[in-house]
Amino acid sequence: MALNIVVCLKQIPNPDLQFQIAPDGKDIRRDALNYKINGADEYALEEAVRLKEKYGGRVVALSLGPKRVDQVLREALAKGADEAVRIAHEDSGTYDVGTVARLLAATVRTLPHDLVLTGVQSDDQGSSATGGLIAGLVGLPHASVVTRVDVKDRILEVATELEGGLQRVYAIPLPALLTIQFGANTPRYAPLPAIMRAARQPIREIAPASVSLPYAFGVRGLSPPIAKGHAEIVTGSVEDQAKKFAQLLREKGFVRR
Amino acid sequence: MSGDILIVAEHLEGRLAPSTFEVVSLGRALAAASGGVVRVALFGQGVRALAEALAKLGVEVLLVEDVALAEYTGDGYVLAVRGLLESAKPRLLLAAHTAQGYDLAPGLAGALDLPLVTNAVGVRLDGSRLVVTRRLLNEKVQAEIEIASDRMIVGTVRPGSVKAASPAPGGIVVPTKVSIDASRVRMRFARIERPTVQDIDLAAADVIVSAGRGIQKKENLPLIEEFAKAVGGVVGASRPLTDMDWLPKTRQVGQSGKTVHPKLYVACGISGAMQHVAGMKDAGLIVAINTDPSAPIFEVAHVGFVADVLKLLPATLKELTG
Ligand SMILES: Cc1cc2nc3c(=O)[nH]c(=O)nc-3n(C[C@H](O)[C@H](O)[C@H](O)COP(=O)(O)OP(=O)(O)OC[C@H]3O[C@@H](n4cnc5c(N)ncnc54)[C@H](O)[C@@H]3O)c2cc1C
Ligand SMILES: Nc1ncnc2c1ncn2[C@@H]1O[C@H](COP(=O)(O)O)[C@@H](O)[C@H]1O
Repeated sequence: MALNIVVCLKQIPNPDLQFQIAPDGKDIRRDALNYKINGADEYALEEAVRLKEKYGGRVVALSLGPKRVDQVLREALAKGADEAVRIAHEDSGTYDVGTVARLLAATVRTLPHDLVLTGVQSDDQGSSATGGLIAGLVGLPHASVVTRVDVKDRILEVATELEGGLQRVYAIPLPALLTIQFGANTPRYAPLPAIMRAARQPIREIAPASVSLPYAFGVRGLSPPIAKGHAEIVTGSVEDQAKKFAQLLREKGFVRR
Repeated sequence: MSGDILIVAEHLEGRLAPSTFEVVSLGRALAAASGGVVRVALFGQGVRALAEALAKLGVEVLLVEDVALAEYTGDGYVLAVRGLLESAKPRLLLAAHTAQGYDLAPGLAGALDLPLVTNAVGVRLDGSRLVVTRRLLNEKVQAEIEIASDRMIVGTVRPGSVKAASPAPGGIVVPTKVSIDASRVRMRFARIERPTVQDIDLAAADVIVSAGRGIQKKENLPLIEEFAKAVGGVVGASRPLTDMDWLPKTRQVGQSGKTVHPKLYVACGISGAMQHVAGMKDAGLIVAINTDPSAPIFEVAHVGFVADVLKLLPATLKELTG
């Protein structure tokens, strides 16, 4: 039962950075950013490769973005993807999840797919919507926040995570789409020879399909978040901070001395 | 198009999700602004009592009961919404941004080719446009976006961003027949699984010192434990640490872990993602230690130390014992 798997991988700005807003107020400043693979997508990729190793088949890594995104696709090739496809697309417009999902869906339709995987959410846009949208557009059943996947006779058994630690288990016939949750597996490291091989492998670049949107979308503006609460911020030398911290703990009665 | 708003209620094992009450409150405000009516769709089987509880919020509850809706499936709920839309044309459909809400909303928007915006922390109407506030990049940037469409817009609202609706008069339950072709529900619910591990009950602790990815290495956990002991507390964690098995799953604070209300919560190297904050924002005193002054944890903290936790904790321990 070989599986054709498509896994959607997103490259995002490293979220540990601090961000500045671009002069036009419509995007962040992109000149001094570094990029990485979206956290959840590492688990989606690992799940794809594991399923292929178990049942046979092929994994196609798919990403939408500018040239720099090839970095993520090479990483995927080094970790076991068989083919990499990049939909050439500039950054603007990625604020609209509907555009992103329609462009990805147009390509998914052209690729053989028993199973499509995405991450649960992207850590830059945080929509948790691309996967479900692709499923709805392409006409696949889907499940979200998946922590466990088994396949038997072309039926998936998946555990999905709910709030508070509960899991809901479903049986879903292939073809289907799943959004994979952090911690679903332990992503592997790519061995050096595979990294070297991946560096020479071609990445198929395709032009974005023309999609028609049933709406008009616009970014009104970006701003620093308006803080709801205001922490009393303690700066200074570590020694001074430690004194203040100890004093606070004593005042509030959490330590006796 | 009408200014009506349709809300999809969420429930599990005979209980309504608290987030549904928040969405109702937002829906009420938006409908008041646009001169429309709020309706809450409740899908299930044998859930009349839940419908009545919702009607106490002063809204019209469309109760759709069907065996195919006994348990949530994306397919079943999309078919049910589709059925409701045959006789009504709301301007906006809202659900909470929960595991179920962000399963349903995009699936629906994709299947019916509708505009979608998710994880909103603010929603308002500006003429014919829907204006939505969202948080980006680990909560560090706020974006205001707008959508205009002659079709129903689908949206999800982040839990905790609106105050829950309080009771109001005038509510009514309207049993509504929707024919659902069960053969079009492709997925089958199997069961609910619960965690079984035995450990301390984090939810009962008065003092919690939680470690996040900022502690860098598993080898630094004993420092967190030592500090927790010094302040009479227990050790909790953000999700990445339990995912990596540094600590058992029972120690995870947040949306998919424990919700805690300690008197003191110390967040050590935790960025403050919404899923973590959901589990600890109501602690009595929140102290956050983070090297990044723009970390969103400082938004919920009462006291914030911009510091390397691996230096600040040992120095504070010295102050306390020395
Ligand atoms: C469906 C879903 C459910 C989830 N449920 C949960 C949940 O229940 N609980 C949960 O916690 N998360 C949950 N998450 C994950 C959540 O989105 C975040 O990824 C997670 O909370 C981040 O953990 P963190 O803050 O430890 O790590 P990071 O976000 O990586 O933050 C580390 C922080 O440490 C700081 N730092 C680095 N070095 C130091 C140092 N030396 N001293 C001090 N600070 C330092 C950094 O500035 C940074 O702010 C969930 C995600 C999804 C998609
Ligand atoms: N530009 C993109 N290229 C490839 N996959 C993407 C892209 N944007 C989003 N995805 C996928 O969709 C998931 C959810 O993203 P989001 O809906 O933005 O939270 C991500 O984890 C990725 O798997």
